[in-house]
Amino acid sequence: MAKGVLGNDPFQRGAASRHAESATPDGEAKAAPEAPAKKPVKGPSGNGAKSAAHKATASAKSAGKAASAKSRKPEKKPAAKARGGKAAATSGKHGAAAQAAAPLRPQTRGPASHGLEDAVLPLREPAASEPSLADAEPGPVNDAGPLTGAQRDVDHALAEALASEAAEASATAAVDQTLGTRGDADAELERLMAMEVATEQAEQAVAELLEQDPEAMSPELERELAASVAAKVADRSARAAADEARPHDGAAGEARWSEETSVTVRVTEDEADTTAVEAEVELPDATRDEFPPGRRGPLSLVPPPSYAEDGARDAFPPDAGRSGPESVRPFAERAVAALSLAKDIAGQALASESMARALLAVGGLKDMLRAGLGTGGGANLDEYGKDPALVERLEPVLEFLYSQYWRVSVQGVVHVPPGAAILVANHSGALPYDGLVMSMALTRERPDLREPRWLVEDQVFHAPMVGTLFNRMGAVRACPENALRLLDEHRPLVVFPEGYQALSKPFGERYRLKRFGRGGFVKLALRTGAPIVPVAIVGAEETSPLLGRIPASFLGLPYVPLTPLGPLPLPAKWSIRFGEPIGVEDLPPEAADDLGEVQRLTERTRESIQSMLQSLLRERRSVFAG
Amino acid sequence: MDVSRPGKGRLRVAVTGASGDYGRLLLSRLEQDPEVESILVLDVARPQGASAKVEFHRVDLTRYDAESELTDALTERPVHALYHLAFLFGPIRNGSLAHELEVIGTMNVLTAAGRSRLPRLVVPSLTAVYGARGNNPAMLREDSPLQGCPHSRFVTDKVEVEGQVRAFRERHPDMRVLVLRFAPVLGPSVDNPATRLLRNPVVPTLMGYDPLWQGLHEDDAARALHLALRAETSGEINVVGRGVMPLSGLIHQAGARPLPLPGPLFRAALHTLDAVGAGTLPVALLDYIHYSWVADGERAESALGFIPLHHVRDAAAALKRS
Repeated sequence: MAKGVLGNDPFQRGAASRHAESATPDGEAKAAPEAPAKKPVKGPSGNGAKSAAHKATASAKSAGKAASAKSRKPEKKPAAKARGGKAAATSGKHGAAAQAAAPLRPQTRGPASHGLEDAVLPLREPAASEPSLADAEPGPVNDAGPLTGAQRDVDHALAEALASEAAEASATAAVDQTLGTRGDADAELERLMAMEVATEQAEQAVAELLEQDPEAMSPELERELAASVAAKVADRSARAAADEARPHDGAAGEARWSEETSVTVRVTEDEADTTAVEAEVELPDATRDEFPPGRRGPLSLVPPPSYAEDGARDAFPPDAGRSGPESVRPFAERAVAALSLAKDIAGQALASESMARALLAVGGLKDMLRAGLGTGGGANLDEYGKDPALVERLEPVLEFLYSQYWRVSVQGVVHVPPGAAILVANHSGALPYDGLVMSMALTRERPDLREPRWLVEDQVFHAPMVGTLFNRMGAVRACPENALRLLDEHRPLVVFPEGYQALSKPFGERYRLKRFGRGGFVKLALRTGAPIVPVAIVGAEETSPLLGRIPASFLGLPYVPLTPLGPLPLPAKWSIRFGEPIGVEDLPPEAADDLGEVQRLTERTRESIQSMLQSLLRERRSVFAG
Repeated sequence: MDVSRPGKGRLRVAVTGASGDYGRLLLSRLEQDPEVESILVLDVARPQGASAKVEFHRVDLTRYDAESELTDALTERPVHALYHLAFLFGPIRNGSLAHELEVIGTMNVLTAAGRSRLPRLVVPSLTAVYGARGNNPAMLREDSPLQGCPHSRFVTDKVEVEGQVRAFRERHPDMRVLVLRFAPVLGPSVDNPATRLLRNPVVPTLMGYDPLWQGLHEDDAARALHLALRAETSGEINVVGRGVMPLSGLIHQAGARPLPLPGPLFRAALHTLDAVGAGTLPVALLDYIHYSWVADGERAESALGFIPLHHVRDAAAALKRS
């Protein structure tokens, strides 16, 4: 054990004797050198203490002194023992105790001889030049008579004040000594911090010591003890703190550290009543295994998941007791650990499905933007310009819009007949999302049908970006040739006979159907025999209400619609209702030239849609909740 | 088809403008065709590397006496088919020469063909004659109006040639007159406005627009021309490659990068450049990079028996490899 090694050191004896002189000027000079040799080995055990006490008594020259020492020791033993044990057991809980104890941790490694010599001088000088200690000497020394409680209290307070003074002074001296040679800019800061730490620890040590045996100690001895303990502890911890403040002084600091620990041991032995201080020494032993001072830093040994625990450990007193600058290193390491933890979290998040979907959606939106700008490319378009690959990449976005944002509810989709069909719907909203939503609804609800397409008017189809994008997503320019071609392919065809005027009507006229063009869809139906399916869409008007029009003839557009969120739609709930198909099988294709017949069928379709709109609007309780 | 006696066929084919891209593509095919007995080349220069089948007769189609020379050459020995391929596709420095060659040359050829009672006349054209307009349907059929491009002399001349040929066909219903409207022919050995555009490292496009383009691989173009020799049909036929592509995709495939420019800025810049004579890009391009002009190749399959082997992206990629 380190104590034994240190105790055998000749230097230790020299220092001890010197201290013994200062503490008890009368004598015990011979008892003191021997005490360290035995004490550390036995630790706080009663036997060891007793034998030490016995030796001290035997070698005492002054009968009075010896008697007083003798009489005190047996009384103190149990208390000291109890304290030491308790502190060892509960070191984790008792912040203050552990804090005081931490700097006292002895180094298990044998002290280097150079380090020893280095440490000797700084240790001695503060002790020698201790003014408060000298002041304390002239006090009521040999008065060993019994004291009243009040007197004891006064003495106690006095001792404490004295001790703190001594601690501060010696801490200052020690720190000055240790850091004095440094000319760094931050030397001043380090000095202040080290001093503060040292003083605090010394005061704590003294307070505990005094608390432990207030009545058993004679005032003068108490004061003596307090002052010396404070001085030693402050001196040592100040040096330790100062050393730690210089991380680059690795080897030297280490050596000094162990040196000082050994000094502490000796100091405690030198005190007339060793037990209390011995407990101080013992405390670090309990904590040392958990936090070896030399290797407390590396967080890399700690696996990332236990990072929180690590943080708790950092808040642990032993660390808090360290001087500030030393905590710079752990902080850097902590940052590294936090970074790696963040990386871990990010990796896990990326691996998660929702995150992947979100990323896919972002990628899809990027492709969408590129396609809109006209740089997207795409090598597998169909002849109408739809890019299935782009639609697939946009699927996460479309799915979100359809299912979660607009919560599209579809009714009567069974009315859509297989094969060619003309789905006639009301056009609404300043931005025509309705065609896209219609085709999505048909794709989802009726996978048996061929892929539907919707016709858009020239003003939208040839609008920059919007038109290009719609085209890539399946919109086809509205013209009879395209409609015939699509119906020939037996596709459901979505048409909006109101056309552009439906998009440009003010919000107040929402869901009021405009004129149905010139009945082109009826002619189409009559020529091809495809049935007309009226469809009512509610919700699209509120998705992008037209607030105003910005003239934009320079863009080749009549105007740019002013909507609440720009190109983004509002989360209005959509309802799509498919009506009963209006068959035209009983009419010959030549009826397409009969304007009266065309007009009649147009009006019939229009009324069907308008009545479905009215009923949907009546059923709707809230625009956004449905 | 008698392949055992190559060169002993019975078809005699006349070709004008055999030195051009179309002529070169066709000539190599005709030389390998065993049924083609001889090829009468009517041009200002003898085609390079011509085989023994080729008979060269020098004719300058822009000359005033070209018509009689042509008639003499065509009536000297009966010709089964005449390919009128004498069109310019290079950068047109001399606009009036191009006009003379296209319009006056075609007039001479048609007159001579009418006089010599040719059974078959094949004239290549372009799908660009439909014009890239906002009112184009998704697929332009052969009966769609030829709206042309007012800014482009090249396309305007082509539209005029088509009008001449249509009138000729109506006057000679007994003749088979085929007009092959080719989508932009792309390939390593051809040079036309489309390939020149796509061979630029950066191709300006209109921001917010990405019209659909078609392309025809040069091998497919040669095959279509060759098929026209025996096709039992008459009239206009769109000859397009497989599939369509957005312009930006075509540019990417050709190994270039699209540079989207705001429309007004691009238009102003192009018109200014054109006015000062620095014709880096034809103003006519503005239409074709704005609106789609996709021709329907259905009739080529039904009437000509032409099925394209190459997708437009392969055609564009072939451009990159060259």
